[in-house]
Amino acid sequence: MNPSDEIVKRKFQEYYASPTRKLHKPPKMEQREYGFLMFKEKFMVRHRGFKTAESLLTAARDLAPKHVYYSTAYYQQPTASMEEKGWLGADLVFDIDADHLETPCKTEHDTWKCKACNSTGKGTTPKLCPKCKNDRLDSETWLCEKCLNQAKEETFKLLGILYADFGVNPDHIGIFFSGHRGYHVHVYSEGLRFLGDEERREIADYVLGQQLDFQLQGLAETKTRGVTVIEGPQLGEPGWRGRIVAGVYDLLQENEKSGLTDSLKAWDNKRVLEGGSFWSSAKGVGLSTWKDLAVKAVEKGSARIDSVVTTDIHRLIRLPGTLNGNTGLLAMQVSERGLEDFDPFTDSIAFEGKMRIHVKEAPSLRIKDSVMGPFNNETVEIAEAAALILLCKHRAEPIGLMKS
Amino acid sequence: MLTRADLAKYPFLNEATDYVKDLGLSIEDIRPEEYGPVLDRAEKRLEEALSKGRITTNIADENTEILSFPVSNLILSLTGEDRAKRRYALAEAKRAYELLKQESPDKLELIASSAFQWKLRRANIQLGRRLYDFSIGLTDYLRNAIHLKEPRWKLSNRVLDHGFVLATRDETARLLEEEVRSKIIDRTSRSTASVNIPTFLGPTIEHVRNLTVKYLGTPVHYELPRVPVPEAMPPCVRNLISLLDSGKNVQHMGRFTLASFLVNIGAEQEEIVRVFKPASDFSERMTRYQVEHIAGQRGGRTKYTCPMCTTLKTHGVCYKPDEVCATIRNPLSYYKSQARTFTRGKKAAN
Repeated sequence: MNPSDEIVKRKFQEYYASPTRKLHKPPKMEQREYGFLMFKEKFMVRHRGFKTAESLLTAARDLAPKHVYYSTAYYQQPTASMEEKGWLGADLVFDIDADHLETPCKTEHDTWKCKACNSTGKGTTPKLCPKCKNDRLDSETWLCEKCLNQAKEETFKLLGILYADFGVNPDHIGIFFSGHRGYHVHVYSEGLRFLGDEERREIADYVLGQQLDFQLQGLAETKTRGVTVIEGPQLGEPGWRGRIVAGVYDLLQENEKSGLTDSLKAWDNKRVLEGGSFWSSAKGVGLSTWKDLAVKAVEKGSARIDSVVTTDIHRLIRLPGTLNGNTGLLAMQVSERGLEDFDPFTDSIAFEGKMRIHVKEAPSLRIKDSVMGPFNNETVEIAEAAALILLCKHRAEPIGLMKS
Repeated sequence: MLTRADLAKYPFLNEATDYVKDLGLSIEDIRPEEYGPVLDRAEKRLEEALSKGRITTNIADENTEILSFPVSNLILSLTGEDRAKRRYALAEAKRAYELLKQESPDKLELIASSAFQWKLRRANIQLGRRLYDFSIGLTDYLRNAIHLKEPRWKLSNRVLDHGFVLATRDETARLLEEEVRSKIIDRTSRSTASVNIPTFLGPTIEHVRNLTVKYLGTPVHYELPRVPVPEAMPPCVRNLISLLDSGKNVQHMGRFTLASFLVNIGAEQEEIVRVFKPASDFSERMTRYQVEHIAGQRGGRTKYTCPMCTTLKTHGVCYKPDEVCATIRNPLSYYKSQARTFTRGKKAAN
């Protein structure tokens, strides 16, 4: 184990050993499978079962794992091999991660490196190295406030869709900060528990607005007595219909009207508000122009989830109340009312002391109210929470490692 | 309320089963002397399904219609052919759809919610030019709509409001058709071990067996060719091989797909290892270990099958799908259907 991992592991162990520590108890915890990713051996210890939060905590303390996971699925025998577990349904889960968001700040803080030809670049890691076309690329991502805020926005949009379109009961929803770059939303409704992977894929595609056909959502050109009329959904209609109109309406309301045709720049919302048809409220605007706007409206109205997570009915997902080995931050439940003001850099801090480390290179970061960095090859004594982020992200090395 | 006429139209309903029970009849009672028409109709149902894929909707006698259905099911369970069961279930479901789409909204509602326990509501909502008679509970909608591949059934293209999907009357009937199909497949797959088969049924069973052979051909237990046929491999697998061949890297999902595909078509282990040899990070020991693992000779002893096409699409392994791809859901099915075409010439020569 390298010195960074060693000290992070020790801090994690201390954390789990604290006498006041409590872990999140997922619904029907005894029917779930648990897994631990260790610091030293790079494999997953899985197919474990626990009946109480206390025994799970004991295991976390003894193993001091880098990551702790539990299954979104319920099983008759959680500790049996995969084919003998006896699947009893699974929560419907959504993962929103900055990795899947296109935020402009990514070019400032995320980098990648090709394992084959050593080329490097900034921003989102491409699928293939642009130079040698190899697909083995290492990415270094950063824990950025803007990205996390965007992830929060996506979470709000997702919740909106779950309530209005899917009719999910707010009491059946759990919202969690992942401890790294995003949020998880779990739906525990019994009625949705037995959905198979294909059904879940339909749900994921709906949330993403994928393969959405505007004609099937009512947007079409019709000719009556030689006059071309554009028909489409109206404001206030349920589902994507209403969301498309609202989205296009917002686009036209925005002050930033660059890229719009002259007739759209002159668009006046009065006719719509007075109950006129939305799609005939701008003179001389054709179907293709409306469709372009509708595409943008769907982009804005959809929630950018990672559909792989939603469709996997045997998924292991991070257990709230445990530490995320990518940051040392706490994965934790956030109430919906508290989500707006939730601040990962204040609310999910697990360590309060100070620590001396040598930082190679890192952007600035904030813990609570104090901003530190950017760092460049320097030895500093900073808040332990910040030090752990830097150690976990391999941007720093420990100094004067205590003998264990 | 469902009338006897309704049960004759929809003999798969639980109410129809109860009706037969109330008559106090069991299969031993359906003797040719007294119930000749019932046996005839039961046979006819099967013959129509096997020959034309359609079952007539006209009803000569209500009782005969109701009683013949369970008899058809039983005969089919006894002849035990999956292909015949699927074809029969589809034909019965289509027959039901023809009748359902002519029903009043009230009757449709009764059938959906009481017989199939759908969460169904009367909607009567006009959106644009379309009148939606019903809204269907999300899970009832999805369970049936995932079998329908046209874009209009995709959830993204529906109106979803507070957990209910709006549907026209005809769409509701079409979704019920799917429900009927699943239900009949279930019924004909039930165990018949506890049923005493009356001897008079013997000739009918034999006749249906012959009909199955006549219309669906003899069941071919097609064996995959001993030696892998590269021409029969799907585009994704060929792409993976050529990527490796040119020294390019293939990610985990791609490697797993390739290895599990080759294991399942019966390729020799040496051959599989050779395919991976050009990879830039090739380690013979690791490759051998992993191939053995996938083949079920190590670890959990599970032989892994090849991932489904939908999974491969999600992971970006799917590559230039062709016409054959449109008809299959797993790369192995592609190979099975194509290998037959490519090896037929050789077989004929034997």
